[in-house]
Amino acid sequence: MPETRKMICCKCNKELEMIKTDFSYLGHSFFTEVPKCPECGQVFIPEELARGRISEVEMQMEDK
Amino acid sequence: MAYTHDLVADCLQFERAFCTAKCPFNLDVRDFIGKLQQGRFNVAYKAYQNAVGFPGIVTALCPEPCRLVCPMKDAGGAISIIQLEKAAMKFARNQDPDEYNMPAKNQRIAIIGAGISGLACALRLITRKYPVTVFEKSAQIGGHLHTLLPAEVFMRDIDRQFSRENYDLRLNTEITSLSALDFDAIYIATGKNGTDFGAESSSDGVFKGGSLIGADTMHALAQGLNAAGTIERYLKTGIMVLPEELSGTKLIADAIEITPGEAVIPANGTSFTRDEALAEAKRCLKCSCDACVRYSPLMSYFKKFPRRITEEVEVTIHPSTLDGNGTVATRLISTCNHCGLCKEVCPQNIDTGEFLLQSHRAMHEKGAMPWAFHEFYLRDMDFSNHEAALTRIPSGYEKSRYLFFPGCQLGASDPRYVTESFRFLTERFPDTALMLHCCGAPAEWAGNDALHQEGIEKIKSDWITLGKPKAIFACPMCKQMFEKYLPEIEGEFLYNLMDEEGIVPIGSTDRATASVFDPCASRNEPSVQKTIRDLAIRSGFELEPLPMEGRLAGCCSYGGQVAIAYPPYAEHIVQAKIEQSENPYITYCANCRDIFAAAKKPVWHILDILFGLGNANRIPPTVTECRNNRLLLKQQILNSFWNETEIMLIPDFMLLISSELKEKLNKALILETDVYRVIESCEQTGMKLFNLETGSFSGHLQIGNTTYWVEYRINLDSGYELLNAYCHRMKIEEA
Repeated sequence: MPETRKMICCKCNKELEMIKTDFSYLGHSFFTEVPKCPECGQVFIPEELARGRISEVEMQMEDK
Repeated sequence: MAYTHDLVADCLQFERAFCTAKCPFNLDVRDFIGKLQQGRFNVAYKAYQNAVGFPGIVTALCPEPCRLVCPMKDAGGAISIIQLEKAAMKFARNQDPDEYNMPAKNQRIAIIGAGISGLACALRLITRKYPVTVFEKSAQIGGHLHTLLPAEVFMRDIDRQFSRENYDLRLNTEITSLSALDFDAIYIATGKNGTDFGAESSSDGVFKGGSLIGADTMHALAQGLNAAGTIERYLKTGIMVLPEELSGTKLIADAIEITPGEAVIPANGTSFTRDEALAEAKRCLKCSCDACVRYSPLMSYFKKFPRRITEEVEVTIHPSTLDGNGTVATRLISTCNHCGLCKEVCPQNIDTGEFLLQSHRAMHEKGAMPWAFHEFYLRDMDFSNHEAALTRIPSGYEKSRYLFFPGCQLGASDPRYVTESFRFLTERFPDTALMLHCCGAPAEWAGNDALHQEGIEKIKSDWITLGKPKAIFACPMCKQMFEKYLPEIEGEFLYNLMDEEGIVPIGSTDRATASVFDPCASRNEPSVQKTIRDLAIRSGFELEPLPMEGRLAGCCSYGGQVAIAYPPYAEHIVQAKIEQSENPYITYCANCRDIFAAAKKPVWHILDILFGLGNANRIPPTVTECRNNRLLLKQQILNSFWNETEIMLIPDFMLLISSELKEKLNKALILETDVYRVIESCEQTGMKLFNLETGSFSGHLQIGNTTYWVEYRINLDSGYELLNAYCHRMKIEEA
């Protein structure tokens, strides 16, 4: 994960860590590590990820 | 869908070219000339040799029936296929026949008559390794060729073609009865006035052909070649029925795009040089019906004919694997603009667009169409049909003669288009009612029948309440939708009514030479097309035609709302449309206007000109401004026409967004109202993140199926400052 910015969960006051997270789209499930609050599970998807890899997988699923 | 097979049954894609249909040998001229066009003389010769058996004899004797049907005959001269055949022979590296390594066959075949038909049959059979005996009552082979050509000419060809294989030739052997022959099959080719031994054509294993049955030289040769195939089939299957002969072509001359060009004449007076042959070959149109692929932007972009499209769509709707692999056409189905041009240009009226619409419905019903392709537009439709909707009859009236139905995009582009038009109408017809509502096109395009029907029912019940007035349309698409789904509602174009009422156009200060861009939904509306041109000329414009207008009107890219499913295609269409002419455009569809304007094309809506509202360079509204404009319109209408002044519909929130970011949101189809909802959710729930480096907050919220992310700062004086926003379709499965 290229994301280097330090993100703090405002609810738990914890620094986000790279934690395995589940995603789903069009009936398919995936998981990957993204910045996530170790306590409450709040995640952060940086724009580079949303417009990059996530977008690629979305298109693959749409064409599957 | 059973519809698929009906759809392409009449497609002419694979119909033979006119010349091929006239050729005794059914020579695939498109293939032959295609090879020559690439300078591949050797393979062209092989194709020719394979089709005619004896190339030297055929080029010497063929009467060229192809010339009579060549579409180029009135456009510079029919293609000289025979000269090209001679050139293929002349420039082929090797004219000798190929040798085939096949197992020898056991069945023996007798051929009676060593004329050209019998020899042709023998040639084909021995190439396939059948033992062949040819009986000839005279002392020489060649039959009636001796009366047509010097013997050395045709014998040279015969010797060459038989150079790889042997057959048993019995000269001076007259057959008087078939019963004396002990063979598995017999081909009788005894020539003109020859005997057929009283054999019925249905006799087991006995076949007749050539001049014996009245064929001319070329057809006699062709029949001999074909008889070999028929005999082989009989030997393998016992079937005596002759294969159905190919006859004619359904190809239609109007479907061929003719590029005139003078015929190439051999400089030496007799035969082509290599360059002359290439030049003549390149004149050939290789006639086939490809009108759909030439005109339809979808089919030309994807280079797919209706047959291929239907095949891909079929396996997409009914995939052969359980996990849905092979759904190759999902995006293609969602990329049709539904402009109707493919049907318009098809000589067989094949409606591939309607097929794709039905396919879209099937995919939606299965839940197999990605929701993302249409969610934004369906939310927009919902907004138009609820927050921004309005159906009113003027005070003091219980029924209306007219109902103005401007469509949701007209007021979204500029509310004055609607307010000024409604003012014009009510000044002349004071009982005119107004309906701000979506015509249902987005639901139709999304294949969502239930949602579409819901909208149609609402329009219908409101129309009945208003006294079944005649509908006045500003948008050609709305009119088309009403005609299709609400045929009981009589409709008329606003512009025709304005013309009839003698509107005096205010005009435009920057009027110039312009071209009218007919929206695709106006294709079958010649009267409004003429009215728009009349009004533009009366407003001081000089008009020049576009290559694609009138019945050939093309979509601006908005139709089908394909921009999410296939953004590069939508961009390609926009560029193609605006590059049709350097002139500024005048159109009468708000979508066409705003899409072209977004691509920096100077374009007026006709209402800009009639009411003097705006110039051709007006920047179109963002997706957020479109919604605000609809609310503004509703407010202004209620205010101006129903004196309801207290209504404040426009959302007013403290959110600072830079102009660059607004542009980014617009391109990503992100509404500022949605951005505000995400921030509010973050603030209310406390579910947000703080960035230690930038001092900004980030958070997300799923609205509909889409997950929106925002990055923002809190400014105590001015509310929130948006720093960034983006979205994704994938759902986060949060614990």
